[in-house]
Amino acid sequence: MPDENTENIMEIKNLTKKFFLDGDKVLTACDNINLSIPRGKTFGIVGESGCGKSTLLKAIMNIDPATEGEIIFNGRDIVKLKGEELRQNYRHIQLVFQDPTAAFNPKMKVKDIVTEPLINFNLIKKSEVNEKARELLKQTELPEDFAERYPHNMSGGQRQRVAIARALALEPEIIACDEATSALDVSVQDTIIKLLVKLQKEKGFTYIFICHDLALVSLFAHKMAVMYLGNIVEKIDGDKLQYAKHPYTRALLNSVFSIDSGKNKEVKVLEGEIPSPLNIPVGCPFQNRCAYKKEICAKEKPKLEEIEPNHSVACFFPINN
Amino acid sequence: MLLQLSDVDISYNDNVIVKGVNLELDSGERLSIVGESGSGKTTVIRAILGVLPRAGKVTNGKIIYDGKNILEFTPKEWKKVRGKEISMIFQDSGNMMNPVQKIGDQFIEYITTQEDTDKKSAYEKAVKMLSLTNLPNPENVMNSYTFELSGGMRQRVGIAMAITFEPKLLLADEPTSALDVTTQAQIVKELMKITKSSMIIVTHNIGVAAALGDKLMVMQGGKVVEYGKTTEVIENPKAEYTKTLLSAVPEIGGKRYA
Ligand SMILES: Nc1ncnc2c1ncn2[C@@H]1O[C@H](COP(=O)(O)OP(=O)(O)OP(=O)(O)O)[C@@H](O)[C@H]1O
Ligand SMILES: Nc1ncnc2c1ncn2[C@@H]1O[C@H](COP(=O)(O)OP(=O)(O)OP(=O)(O)O)[C@@H](O)[C@H]1O
Ligand code: SF4
Ligand SMILES: [Mg+2]
Ligand SMILES: [Mg+2]
Repeated sequence: MPDENTENIMEIKNLTKKFFLDGDKVLTACDNINLSIPRGKTFGIVGESGCGKSTLLKAIMNIDPATEGEIIFNGRDIVKLKGEELRQNYRHIQLVFQDPTAAFNPKMKVKDIVTEPLINFNLIKKSEVNEKARELLKQTELPEDFAERYPHNMSGGQRQRVAIARALALEPEIIACDEATSALDVSVQDTIIKLLVKLQKEKGFTYIFICHDLALVSLFAHKMAVMYLGNIVEKIDGDKLQYAKHPYTRALLNSVFSIDSGKNKEVKVLEGEIPSPLNIPVGCPFQNRCAYKKEICAKEKPKLEEIEPNHSVACFFPINN
Repeated sequence: MLLQLSDVDISYNDNVIVKGVNLELDSGERLSIVGESGSGKTTVIRAILGVLPRAGKVTNGKIIYDGKNILEFTPKEWKKVRGKEISMIFQDSGNMMNPVQKIGDQFIEYITTQEDTDKKSAYEKAVKMLSLTNLPNPENVMNSYTFELSGGMRQRVGIAMAITFEPKLLLADEPTSALDVTTQAQIVKELMKITKSSMIIVTHNIGVAAALGDKLMVMQGGKVVEYGKTTEVIENPKAEYTKTLLSAVPEIGGKRYA
């Protein structure tokens, strides 16, 4: 894949998101994020709980707009869009929420949930809801008669598939998935990822895929970003993840449990706590937990720099293996 | 034996969903349950705690806990057991907590409703539990709202609460699936270290299931398709479904999708 020729569908430039809390406290959830999302590919994002992944997606979706920065989608800065233009824009970007239970209206039946975006954009008639809903459910491996159910009468993984079916309904250009497969068993997960890949090949969908399962995301994503405390600390190709060089990415890789009990004994626990995003340290965000820390790490913040083609690291002392 | 389920059937609105579940758990023993999405894992552990949704009902079999059939428990007996002898860690403990009440107030309330004690000793107990789960600066956590904590910190608060009364039986429904892998490793190791409770852990992460469980149960379509010592099930799976499941576990450097 000649990367310099891949066209980007979205450019996120200098995106910062701050939350202003009581008592003049400021919480920086995303700190000057820059990302290029290649068209028709999968972009994976991993990182510790609370590092700002969902916040980033919510900014892209304009659910909770960015404090600063630009999001160029198909050549336009969508942060500046308003009214009908903004609404029409979201025909082309769909989000699968991290917690579908909280995102669904509990009084709506599954068939109405999955077809709601189509109705909203007048793409189907009310009389077509039943048929379309069944088609979407079938696609995500759910029994068609679930169309008549309410979301609370389903299991966690079944609800998650309803959320995926709903996002696929509009055939958007970008589908952003926030932990969209974490409640699925690995076999259904495998089927869903295969479906997503098939649709990507047929329809050119672009995926932004947030996922705690490093193995899964590395096997599915073409490009990946690793986040820590609101910062991107490493960018790497999915198939190169095991050669990551940032100490935090290495710590992630060392924490994965395996079905091989021998390997599980080697699982290392990363010591220390994530600093509060209310109080981001000067210098490297990872310094208080990093085994490679030197004096400079507490004074200067390492910049995200390309160390080889398609691989950038924000660390003064990247690990070489 | 601490817990024994024999021939348990569970229905929602008269449709039998879980059929013929048998399992046994000794004191201090840990069982992991993995399986198909929608196969009834959550249903089974909810039945053990007696908290099925209204439409749900155990229609056959026995659930014997500490020598007594919990299906015949009176509300008074449940009050003594639930939250104290048997407690549960939910998938997202943060969602179960009140967003407008400080963690400390919720924790203290939880302790004082279970135990006849004053606020000051409840506070001290809560702080002690929080520090047991390796949470730094527990006093500060007590003084925080849920949204001020990361997912991993909230989950540890949930775990601290669940083990406060040193339950004989701890039920955990996907306790780590909302967490990044470093936090997950921390919590798995802490759970093994800090409690001697018997445990049932429901998870889709077979690596976590293997690390935590002495025994492993595999469910599909409301039935138990395999049940045995974890290492045996993983190294020598008998059921077709177990084989399918194990072969679908993604491994870094494995076969790519795209
Ligand atoms: N509405 C809000 N008000 C204040 N702080 C918030 C708000 N939403 C998120 N935060 C904070 O922003 C930070 C990033 O949160 P975010 O939900 O983006 O994390 P995440 O990376 O998605 O984590 P997880 O993997 O646990 O889902 C956290 O510290 C969180 O407490
Ligand atoms: N309140 C309810 N009313 C009717 N059916 C229900 C209800 N809750 C769950 N079910 C059904 O019972 C079956 C078992 O659900 P359960 O939540 O126990 O599955 P699970 O194994 O925990 O799945 P997951 O891994 O997806 O969480 C599912 O098919 C689900 O649709
Ligand atoms: S910059 Fe220093 S503290 Fe930060 S990750 Fe690199 S070595 Fe560790
Ligand atoms: Mg999130
Ligand atoms: Mg469940």
